[in-house]
Amino acid sequence: MTLTIATSVDQAIALLASGARPIAGGTDLVVGARQGKAPLPDQLVAIDRIAELAELTSTDSETRIGAGVTHARLMTDGLIIERHTAIADAAALVGSPATRNVGTLGGNVMNGSPAMDTGAPLIVMGAEAELRSADGTRRVTMGDLWTGPGQISARDDELCTSLVIPAGGPGSGSAYVRLEYRRAMEIAVVGAAAAVTLSDGVLTSIRVALTAVAPVIIEIGDLDNLIGGAPDRALHGAVAAAARDQATPISDLRATDEYRRHTIGVMAARAVDAAARRAAGEQIPVPVNRSLGIGAAQ
Amino acid sequence: MSLTEIPAFARADGPDKVSGLGRYTADLTLTGMAHAAFRYADVPHGRIVELDTSPARAMSGVVAVITDADVPDIYLSAEIADRTLFARDVVRYEGEVVAAVAAVTPEIARAAAAAIVVRYEVLPAVTDIEAALGENSPLVHESWDSYATSGDVVRDRNTAMRSELHRGDADAAMATADVVVSGRYVADASHAVPIEPRAVVAEWQGDHLTVHTSTQVPFDARSRICETLELPTSRVRVIVPHLGGGFGGKCGAHFEPHIAALAKVAKRPVKLVFSRYEEFIAPDRRREGMIVDVATGVKHDGTIVARAAWLGIDNGAYMADATFFPQLAAMHVAGPYRTGSLKIEADLVYTNRQPSGSVRAPTAPQACWAIESHTDEIAVALDMDPIEFRRRNLVATGDVGPMGQVYDEIGALECLELATASAQASADQKPLGPDEALGVSMGWWPTFAVAAGAFAKMHADGTVQLVTGGQECGTGAVMTLRNLAADELGIDPELIELVYQDTAVAPEGPGASGSQTLLNHGRAVEVASQQIAAQLRELAADHLEAAPEDIVLAESKASVAGAPAASVAFTELVERAGAELLGTASVEMPEYPELPTSSTCIGDQGMGAWLAPQFSCHVARVAVDRDTGVVRVSEVHTAHDSGTIINLMGAHGQVEGGVLMGVGQALTEGTRYDDEGRQRNAGLLEYKLQTIADAPSIHTQFVEIATPNAGPRGAKGLAEAPNVATAGAIANALAKVIGQRVRELPMTAERVWRAQTADQSSTTTEQDQS
Amino acid sequence: MNPSSPMSPSSPMSQQINLTVNGMTWPVAVETSRNLCSVLRTEIGLTGTKEGCDDCECGACMVLLDGQPINSCSYLAAQADGREITTVEGLADGDELHPLQRNILSAGGVQCGFCTPGMLMSAYALLDRNPEPSIEEIRIGLSGNLCRCTGYARILTAVHETAVELNGA
Repeated sequence: MTLTIATSVDQAIALLASGARPIAGGTDLVVGARQGKAPLPDQLVAIDRIAELAELTSTDSETRIGAGVTHARLMTDGLIIERHTAIADAAALVGSPATRNVGTLGGNVMNGSPAMDTGAPLIVMGAEAELRSADGTRRVTMGDLWTGPGQISARDDELCTSLVIPAGGPGSGSAYVRLEYRRAMEIAVVGAAAAVTLSDGVLTSIRVALTAVAPVIIEIGDLDNLIGGAPDRALHGAVAAAARDQATPISDLRATDEYRRHTIGVMAARAVDAAARRAAGEQIPVPVNRSLGIGAAQ
Repeated sequence: MSLTEIPAFARADGPDKVSGLGRYTADLTLTGMAHAAFRYADVPHGRIVELDTSPARAMSGVVAVITDADVPDIYLSAEIADRTLFARDVVRYEGEVVAAVAAVTPEIARAAAAAIVVRYEVLPAVTDIEAALGENSPLVHESWDSYATSGDVVRDRNTAMRSELHRGDADAAMATADVVVSGRYVADASHAVPIEPRAVVAEWQGDHLTVHTSTQVPFDARSRICETLELPTSRVRVIVPHLGGGFGGKCGAHFEPHIAALAKVAKRPVKLVFSRYEEFIAPDRRREGMIVDVATGVKHDGTIVARAAWLGIDNGAYMADATFFPQLAAMHVAGPYRTGSLKIEADLVYTNRQPSGSVRAPTAPQACWAIESHTDEIAVALDMDPIEFRRRNLVATGDVGPMGQVYDEIGALECLELATASAQASADQKPLGPDEALGVSMGWWPTFAVAAGAFAKMHADGTVQLVTGGQECGTGAVMTLRNLAADELGIDPELIELVYQDTAVAPEGPGASGSQTLLNHGRAVEVASQQIAAQLRELAADHLEAAPEDIVLAESKASVAGAPAASVAFTELVERAGAELLGTASVEMPEYPELPTSSTCIGDQGMGAWLAPQFSCHVARVAVDRDTGVVRVSEVHTAHDSGTIINLMGAHGQVEGGVLMGVGQALTEGTRYDDEGRQRNAGLLEYKLQTIADAPSIHTQFVEIATPNAGPRGAKGLAEAPNVATAGAIANALAKVIGQRVRELPMTAERVWRAQTADQSSTTTEQDQS
Repeated sequence: MNPSSPMSPSSPMSQQINLTVNGMTWPVAVETSRNLCSVLRTEIGLTGTKEGCDDCECGACMVLLDGQPINSCSYLAAQADGREITTVEGLADGDELHPLQRNILSAGGVQCGFCTPGMLMSAYALLDRNPEPSIEEIRIGLSGNLCRCTGYARILTAVHETAVELNGA
């Protein structure tokens, strides 16, 4: 096998077209190979030294996060914390400090795991992935990209170059919370992201997405009827009920389906609560899990 | 310099460890060294119908392939000889070694092991403790009655060992109780998980074998090599480089014979390094799963009149060292209380799972969790404060232990008072929140002792070499031996070099097992040091013209008492002697307390009387996320009666590590199995150790009372005792918060959530005594 | 010899790379599938970096890559070509232990020592980017390093003491 260290997107794309697979931090690929899940591909192209992929830029209307931006950067970047707090919440919970140093947002997205922490925040913020190949560039929504556990709709010759996220308007707030048995080194048993907008204390938009309760990360549908209400206990209850209703969890080592269905409601309600409080101007430091003692964390 | 003035912890191996320059077994490379890989059974119960190693032998780079056919025909294990080095005819757990390969790289070795063809007739797997005891259960060992056994082994069908503990007429006494509380508690198996996976390097030079290995018990390893490969003791040398933790997990069978046999065939050194997965599935060491069914009869005033219990203990597929488990667990279920009449029966049961073996305080954390949970439930049933209930019933000096031992000085009550007061003081400072509570648990643990020896040499430059058969596994116990010698000799501990990891030079010892290092080797070190001190006094007496008994040894100098100005340096004394000063000590096993002949125990494995028993009390401050069942432990307050503390920092380190292991056992560490007995979470993502982010603050006090029969300076052991009581304390705090009892260990978030949704109370029966 | 690793199904090929380890550059030929931990331990002979698990879950293999802690067991050596690597052997200044090494020892934060190198690398990187960490920040900063012996209390103390020592000078 071979590994080529690419220094430009064009070089990487050319190598992908000839059958190479991309590697950034290697936290999924190399660990997977060591555990015997899947052997390493025959040709690898390292994309972690492509400067363009590490760019994080913004305009008034959108934020562009390079696919190679690491979790460590996402959890500390002022703009992400300000505009896309749920992404920072999620990035701060990924693995360990070492994993966050090398693991990238693009790597997460293209791995397509339904347990990834950054996925639900991307959905509720309406993010799109930019995919580039020799044929050109296209954008896909997260919902269109993720097709099953570890399965994505992108072609093998397409490189994810960035995630493009609309800037939230005034009065918007977001949060990601997850169930964790330990305070570190965890993988989501279940998790939930929420993005809400408040105007004069009234809900004007709400999106909630769920981690690890379906073959892909899913967004809760039919929440529009909640718009116009206050961010109160009734709202939390309604979101929890909808989350439990729409989740299709499995039983595995980490939890039974029954427990997942229960706790996804708890996490969804907590995410909405934290997002609404942030929207109302309350400073809840990242990650919300540790700030609010979710899972009795304090 | 008195013992208390000696620096808190002179950790001789410290600089090696922090610099990264110290060598652990996996760090060794020998010229021409090949790498080993095992082929495991994978099938938990099956009859081998084909075993073809030729595909492995044919692979380029493979230098040796061996199976049962290539080693002496020997059944092993000291207590029940129920297994062979390599599987013979039948495999009985997934991690059983069927074949071993040596190749020039680890990758080729693994590929060759995988290429070996093994086919099985799959046999029904025995995985349920209670079902295994049924008349119709398949047998794990069909021809068990032909196995050699030693000692008083009581066995039948799948029962590997049975112990019964009787005192008085428990049924009659139970009938006199005002209230009978009964409950069932089920603990999952768990693992020792030292951070260093085990490694072995074996090298032959002619007919002499040297094995470098990550064992806690080098002399036991040597015995096993000699036994299975039919070698004289004098030709086998076991060397232990730095050892990356053990916790019992690196006692017992350790694959040294397999690698030695491979190296013999390969005609070159062979190295084995386990992956974490192998570390989970293959060794004959895991903490045994356990069922405790217990009923206790009490009077309204809190007097315990009777206890009846049955224990089912999962032995796994082969006998590692567990024949004493039923007796020890039964004694723990009796508890450190005045319990009136007793009827406790315990079965150690063969299953098609990994063998169980001594992991840090074997049987005690689970049995203690069960019985301390039960104790709180009794207090609740009597509407009595759990601390007060314990206060009324705890054993004290002069009381009688479960097997009739009359306790000398013990500090159980002091432990209870100190730990609860510490926790309460903290709660007064920072009041408990609505989702918080304090929980209390007592613990106890024997002090074991055996014979041991030590050599000491004082060189012409005034430095000392101390040679013992101890083994440092991280506890620092061996390091602490320097302090004893330094105190006897009047020298700085830095002048003492420890030699402890080589069977060819050291007198035999039990190694790092059973919290015995300080107790046994310490006694020998004292005597050997005293011999040198006596020689120094004789030499100095001659030089200073005084009586030897008036000579004071301090700061590497000898002087006459009351006249420190006229002194002579040790270096000069050794020079005068014309040769290095030698001390050679061999100390016998101390006498254990006598037991009354009236005590009745079936399956007595010599656990009945304890030398200087250790007591402890742990109090946990726990917060519960009621919606999810997630539990966090923020504080643990402990008090330990472990005799005199020789090295305070080391002692705190033992307690803190034991407590955190206890938190893991309480909340997140449990091995899960599939229906056939395979482990499903043999990795550190799904078998969850506590991280530094989870670690509670730990507040420890030592109850130092003069204990007869204790070790050097009144010390007892301390490596295992701190691992006993934590889970029980967490359980009791948790039950206070949620108002329900979690009856399975670990008390995972999901189990806590379920306990809140379904009533799992104990049965409490009021009996009319009017 | 023709190794066939489960890591790579096809015949392996060596790549010539340069690893700068503790300030010294090592030209080494490595198979592409080899992880950095293995190359450091066998090709370069620095065995202070330990291996304790199969899946980035214990932190014993932690080294710094361009100053950032990574789990070297799951990082391809070829990907580190041309980069600066610091291992535990690189912390001391000659015979003078780094204050972290000195303090973890004096505080009682070393028992078996197997997690110690990784723990030290995490702590070093933490203090490098955050010279005055709170206790909570130390906890999170070291949360990728499992220790089975100590209960962590004395490791926490040692890192805190080191921060105070380095800042108070």
